[in-house]
Amino acid sequence: MKKNYAFHILILSSLVLLSACQKEATNGNVTIFINYNVGGQELVTNDFRYTCAAGYTFEVTRLQYYLSNFTLRKDDGTEYFLDEVFYQELGTTDPSIPIPDVPPGTYTSLSFVYGLDADTNVDGGLPNTLTNINMEWPLSGDQGYHYMKFEGKYKLPGTGEEKAFNLHTGATGNNQNFIEITLPIDNGLKIDGNTMQLQLNYDLNEWLQNPNTWDFEVWGPMIMANQDAQLALKANGATAFSIEPMNP
Amino acid sequence: MKRTILLLGVLIWTLPYCTKEKPIDPGWEYDPTPFNLEYPDFFPILEIPADNPTTVQGVLLGRMLYYDPILHKDSTEACASCHQQAFSFSKPGNIIPHINLGWSGAFLWNGKIQGTLEDIMLFESRDFFETDLSRLQNHPDYPKRFYEAFGDKEITYEHIAKAMAQFERTMISANSKYDQYLDPDQFVFLEDEEFLGYDIFFSEKGDCFHCHGGILFTDNRFHNNGLDANPEPGLSEITGDPFDVGRFKTPTLRNIELTGPYMHDSRYETLEEVIDFYSEGLKNSPTVDPLMKNVYKGGIQLTPQEKGYLLAFLKTLTDTTYLHNPALEDPFHE
Repeated sequence: MKKNYAFHILILSSLVLLSACQKEATNGNVTIFINYNVGGQELVTNDFRYTCAAGYTFEVTRLQYYLSNFTLRKDDGTEYFLDEVFYQELGTTDPSIPIPDVPPGTYTSLSFVYGLDADTNVDGGLPNTLTNINMEWPLSGDQGYHYMKFEGKYKLPGTGEEKAFNLHTGATGNNQNFIEITLPIDNGLKIDGNTMQLQLNYDLNEWLQNPNTWDFEVWGPMIMANQDAQLALKANGATAFSIEPMNP
Repeated sequence: MKRTILLLGVLIWTLPYCTKEKPIDPGWEYDPTPFNLEYPDFFPILEIPADNPTTVQGVLLGRMLYYDPILHKDSTEACASCHQQAFSFSKPGNIIPHINLGWSGAFLWNGKIQGTLEDIMLFESRDFFETDLSRLQNHPDYPKRFYEAFGDKEITYEHIAKAMAQFERTMISANSKYDQYLDPDQFVFLEDEEFLGYDIFFSEKGDCFHCHGGILFTDNRFHNNGLDANPEPGLSEITGDPFDVGRFKTPTLRNIELTGPYMHDSRYETLEEVIDFYSEGLKNSPTVDPLMKNVYKGGIQLTPQEKGYLLAFLKTLTDTTYLHNPALEDPFHE
């Protein structure tokens, strides 16, 4: 009997020792850095250095938009969802998205919404900050906010006359036009108490092509109430992003 | 023994002078009362610098300074000489109205001062009026008021700026017909032509709202709105950036009916002229804002009838209660 006790104590203590040596996996962080380009070229504002698929040379003046609903997903289907909206403005806001406190594991895809989902894109759906108020979508009958204001100028071939483009996207006539984007993470993102970085490449030229060749002259500068234009841009915007891990 | 007592007495007598706080005059008290800034829920959140909370004492002091020519080096004029309440704290001439400036982050037409109301008020007192601090310091009343607002016996430009900023934050206009229309409890409705004007304003037809939109009727940013083919420097004077040529601060359209003449150089006497400009008079230039998307055809091309609707809507932004708000009146004539 006495011997048996000693045996049990030995087993128990070795178990305790074992578990102490086995490091438990812990939460980590992911930071996403937005990296702009225009058809693979460096993004430089106010410079007619780009040519779009429809044949116009164009410049980028201003870009303001929302990103939301960031979700990291594992192969087994478990998800980590960040219930937060990020306003981004070219040259003004920090182009990084912090995703804190991510549970351990290997994530193989990243999803997000370009714009705002239907629940958020209602009048008063975002806090009344100066930024959000400037993004309001005040058209009669519609609700919510601009998903994006992408503004610049293009030149007419031949004459070289400069005209403005205003790619303003949002919900038109109760059509929620936000874009759901899912991108695979090559080799996975392994989280265990560490901070991992992802580069989110954003090609602005994709708004003007793939699948729909966007002709500034055909669509004109006023598209907020034009659902066909909104749908064409929605399809184009879906191809504007790709990701690459920044860690070895 | 006597010497020891004397020494002790001197020590005790001088002790208060050794502590950090100098003794204050009897009757002075630094115990500021928080001031509750009121504005509608649909207004943006008013950001207040942590080092200058709004207080009853600070607001009253700022209000007194606003109306007192003592701030001016020659005592010839006060802020209120040009910023008159009857004209929405403006005056016919090139005077920027003081209205809802608490939500602004850049001041003056060319953005010369960027930051908070404290920053612009520091400029106004120290650099524009060149306030003589000794006259405030030797005044029979102001030192006590500054002490009660900021707990400091010494009057500085920073204290003046803080008091003025506190008063400016209370200069809120939020009771126009349009505001009443937005408040479902008030059962105020727009007339047909006002509503048709609203539709022009808040759609891409007029496309006024991308710059003058939101509840403040300004985006508080800088744009070249196509006034001239060879625009004036504007913001580029401050930034040195050639892309800022011709860019001026978007003024609020609240009380616009009362604050003419219009544009940074007061070139238009009436709102009718302003609407004509946006309809047919736009001039292209390299830095004209892409939001002025109809500049290639001279403007938004409104019919005379539509111009009338737009004008009717603009007049719904007039808040006459702002002109008679007793809390903003001259405190020396109560």
